[in-house]
This record gives sequence, structure tokens and C-alpha cells, in this order.
Amino acid sequence: MTRAIPLEAVLVVAAALFCIGLFGALSRRNLVGVLMGVELMLNSVNINLVAFWRYLEPQNITGPAFTIFIITVAAAEAAVGLAMIIAIYRNWDTVNADSVDSLKG
Amino acid sequence: MFQLTDIPRILPEILLLVLALLVLGSDIFERWGSSDAARLERVRASAQLTTIGLGLIFVIALVQSGYVYKLPDDASANFFTNILRNLQAGGPGQQPIVGAFATDDLTMIARLTFIGAAFLTSLLCLDYHPNSNPAEFYAMILFSTMGMCLMAGATELVLIFLAVELTSIPLYILAGYFHGETRSSEAGMKYFIFGAMSSALMLYGMSLAYGFTANALAGNSAANDLTQLGKIAELAGQGGPVLTLAMVLIIAGVGYKVAVVPFHGWSPDVYQGAPTPVTAFVSTASKAAGFILLFRLLTVAFPSLAGSAVFGENLGGWTSLLAFLALLTLIVGNLAALPQMNAKRLLAYSSIAHAGFLLLGLIAWASPEQFDRDQGAVALVYYLVVYTLTNIGGFGALAAVSLAVGGDDVKDLNGLARRNLPLAVLFAICLLSLAGVPPLAGFFAKFYIFMVGWQSGAWWLVIIALFTTVVSLYYYLRMLKAMFMEAPATDEPLSAPAGIMSAISISVAGLVILGIFPNIILGIISRVQSIAGL
Repeated sequence: MTRAIPLEAVLVVAAALFCIGLFGALSRRNLVGVLMGVELMLNSVNINLVAFWRYLEPQNITGPAFTIFIITVAAAEAAVGLAMIIAIYRNWDTVNADSVDSLKG
Repeated sequence: MFQLTDIPRILPEILLLVLALLVLGSDIFERWGSSDAARLERVRASAQLTTIGLGLIFVIALVQSGYVYKLPDDASANFFTNILRNLQAGGPGQQPIVGAFATDDLTMIARLTFIGAAFLTSLLCLDYHPNSNPAEFYAMILFSTMGMCLMAGATELVLIFLAVELTSIPLYILAGYFHGETRSSEAGMKYFIFGAMSSALMLYGMSLAYGFTANALAGNSAANDLTQLGKIAELAGQGGPVLTLAMVLIIAGVGYKVAVVPFHGWSPDVYQGAPTPVTAFVSTASKAAGFILLFRLLTVAFPSLAGSAVFGENLGGWTSLLAFLALLTLIVGNLAALPQMNAKRLLAYSSIAHAGFLLLGLIAWASPEQFDRDQGAVALVYYLVVYTLTNIGGFGALAAVSLAVGGDDVKDLNGLARRNLPLAVLFAICLLSLAGVPPLAGFFAKFYIFMVGWQSGAWWLVIIALFTTVVSLYYYLRMLKAMFMEAPATDEPLSAPAGIMSAISISVAGLVILGIFPNIILGIISRVQSIAGL
């Protein structure tokens, strides 16, 4: 089966997206920005799974099924995360990760 | 295919789900007054329902496992034996359900551990009132327990991911449950961010593992078994760097959940900031679930990549990686605990250090002998059970102190022996067991796991573990000194709530009995060996 775009190209895009997400999650000060970084990481996984399915095992539904589960759980996770950010904002009047530091030692 | 006869095999999980929904639903019929008395009544109703329900589920799971009494095959049929027979039809010793959920002895023992831990946690919560919506608090504990049970038996990547999330998301909520307090909301946020990132790392590893099996089968797969752990092991012979990368990412993801150095950054903050009963639950059940998942993942999916922990031999496998992580965990965990002023934070570092000891049970796979590997599994599970009992007792005692005193620093423990002797003695037994003093169960668990580590060739790690055990005595004794030697701030007696006292008493009784007669449960735990050949 030949295609215009090779599998490797799709995987490189996913890996790049994962790295951008990881960098964003680690470097952003804003908690909402951190959350967006995590979402990018999860979406790169989705691209990986769908690409593997389409190029290697198109008759077997495991890849897209896994993707649907990830999308659903990511939505639940984002809901919890945003609720946490609201609680942080109410307590600290900021969503800057550096200012939230009452616990240390 | 899923069959109706498979339902008894997941009965404890179904019952946990039903109980959670029942707790949520029954709260609607309570009196929703704004007065303190009405709120207390609502809290009590949810707490009692959860505690009694968890106790019942524990008994059902125990009967189902057949460890206490196994119905003989030739028993006469009557009403009770029929119920018992149907229940025990879901017992250990069958093929995994749709290749995704194994109900073997490891799952059974893990289930009992998690449900028991949740039961003790809900006993701790009886007098530790969540400020609002108590039903949600208890339902989250139940959902999380259900996720842990699924995690212990999952043999398929999608179910592993779902179980990990079902465990973690309620725990994020529980850690941040007192959302009006700065410390609790900060703990919840930190737990969430680290947890979400670790899930993403683990998922990327899983997607690579899926790509690997899809590539190796090259369009010849008949069934939807691409993500089963056994399939990965089957094809691992053709593995290359991709499979190794997948394995490392998955280890990193689960490593976050069980808090091994260098993935431990969240745990002291979360343990300190979360409500104390939640800390007890996170530090025991969630860590035990992570270790059992790690054990099953590595031994079922990657047995050929085990490598070795002996210098000069094949250092490319996961036992070498885990040996390195264990080294870091033991040193960092024990040394960082030394200067801590906050008792919860101190116990958090101590529980990081215990993760290092637990890794020794996995490193036993460095040995080529099947006997050593089996011993490693038994030592790991025994250590997990003992550690769960001990830490729930320890954090429970801290919960009683912080309820009465209003703080959880080491200096708040000053003179506890003079203010409440039974509580101080029970707490001291838990601390001595954590330190590994004979004849308590902590000593035997440490002894066993060190022995296993030594036999598998990681003797250098065992020597370092012994040294760090000696170091750890210092910080446990510091807490004992505060309780028994220092003068109390006030001489008035400190009253501990009945729920907390009974939870601590149960765990201390377990510690003493398991320490003096370890054979009581070693005979049962030694059955987990049978999964090694899965």
C-alpha cells in the first residue's frame, strides 16, 4: 500500500507535538498554559495511534477505540483541572504556578 | 467474548460501583439544613453507609477468593451452598476476561488490600468531616478503589490506561477537597498537574507499544489483541529501540504514580497539603496499586527485557533501570526526611524511601532462576500489605492529633504519651514497624525483601538499603522522642475519636500478628507465583 505521505512523517509530527506539549507544560508559568501543554501531549498520542492503525493494521479497530477512550478521559481530566484552577484563583487571586508555594521544605 | 458467567469474577468491582452510586443517591434523601447539626447528620449518614458497605464488600471478596473457606466440590446442594458455589465460581484460576482483566491470585490479594485500605480510610473519615457535600467525598474514595482493583488485574493497555485514570482523577479531587483552604487546593493542583503529565508520558509509551505490535504482525492479526500484554511479550523477540523506548516511558509514567525518585517531586507537597485521611489512602492503596501494575506490566509484557542488576552483566534491561531508580529513591528519600519539621511531610519522605525497598522485589527478576523471581513477587506483595497497614495507622494517628491540636508538625506531637497514652503507644508501634524493628511485621517484610534482593545479585543495593534503614531510624526516633520525652504544651487529655482509634487498632493488631506469625498470610500470598508463568 503506497501513500503520498509516509508513516514516518506522521510520527515525526506527533513526536514534535509531544515535545512542544512537554516543553509547554514544564515551562509555562500560567496554570491554564500548563493544562494546554498536557492536552497537546495527549493529542500527539492520538495522532500516533490513528497513524499506526491506518498504515499498519487498518482492518483492526483497536487504535481508534483507544483514541476515543483517550479523548473522553482527557475531557474529564480537563474538567477537573479547570475546577482546580478556579479553586486556586479563589484562594490565591492568581493562576501563576510560581506564586502557589505554601507547601515546601 | 464476554460471557454472563464472567460477571461473578468482577463482582467486587460491580459492588463498589453500586455502593458509590448508592452513597451519592441516598444523600439526596437527607435533610439539607444549613445548621451544623443537620450537616453533621448528613456527613454521618454517608460515612456510615460507606464504612458498612466497604466492610461487606471486603467480606464478599474474601469469601469469593476462597482463602478462608473453600467449598468442597462434593458439598450437598442447599440454599447457602448454592450461593457460595456461585460466588466462588469467580475465584482465582481462570483465563483473563476477554484477554483484558485477569482474576488470578494477585488480583484477589490486591483487591482485598485495596478494599481493606478503603475501609480503614473511611473509618478515619468518620470524624474528619468534609466541609460540604460529604456524599461526593465518600463516592470518590469508592470510585478510586474500583479503579485500583481494575489496575491490579488489567492485562491490556486500554484497560490499564482507564484504570489508572479512574484511580487518579478521584484522588486529585480528594486531595483538593477542602477547596476553601490554600494548602488543600494547592495539593490538589500539584497532584493534578504531575499526574496528568505522567499519564501523557505513559500513553505515549503505550502508543509506541501498539505501533510495535501492529508493525510486527504486519496485517496478519485475526483478533483485537494488539494491545494485550501477552501479545507484546510474544513479539518482543523482534523488538528494537522502539519497544525499549515504550517500556521506559511506561516505567516513567507509573514511576510518577508510585513516587520513585526522580519522579517524586509532587508527593511531599500533596501528602502534606491533602486532608490527612486522604493522605493515608494515597500513600498506601494508590502506591500499592501502582506497584502491582508495574509488576504485572513488566513481568507479563517485557519478561525478555529484564536484563540484570549485577555489575558487568547485561545492563540493558528494566531491572538495571529499576536498580538505578531504587538507589536514588533510597538515598534521596531517607536523607530528605531527616531535616523535616512537619510530621506529614516526614512520613511522605519515609514513604518515598519505602518505594525504594519495594523496588527490590521487582529487581528480583534480574535473577535467571524462576525460584528467585517467584520469591520476589511474594516478598513484594507481603511488603505492600504490611506497608499499607502501617501507613494507615501512622497517618491515622496524625489525623487524630491534628484534629485535636490543629497542626501536624513534629512539635505538635510533644508529650502525646502524657496526654493520650493509648494513641501514643499505637502510633509508636506503627513508627517502629516502619523503621523495621522486630518482632513487628515491618521487620519481617524488610528482611524478606532484602534476602530476595541479595539472592538475585543486587547485593550492592541491599547493602545501601541496610545503611539507609539505619539512617531512617533517626527520624522515626525523633518522632518517638517528641511523643515520650518532650514536655507537652498543655496537660489536658487529648481525646481521639472512636473511628480513628478503631482504624489504628485494627492496623496495629495486623502488624503485631503478621510480625509474629507471618505464615498466616504468606501461605496465601505465595500463590501469586502462579502468575509468573502467564
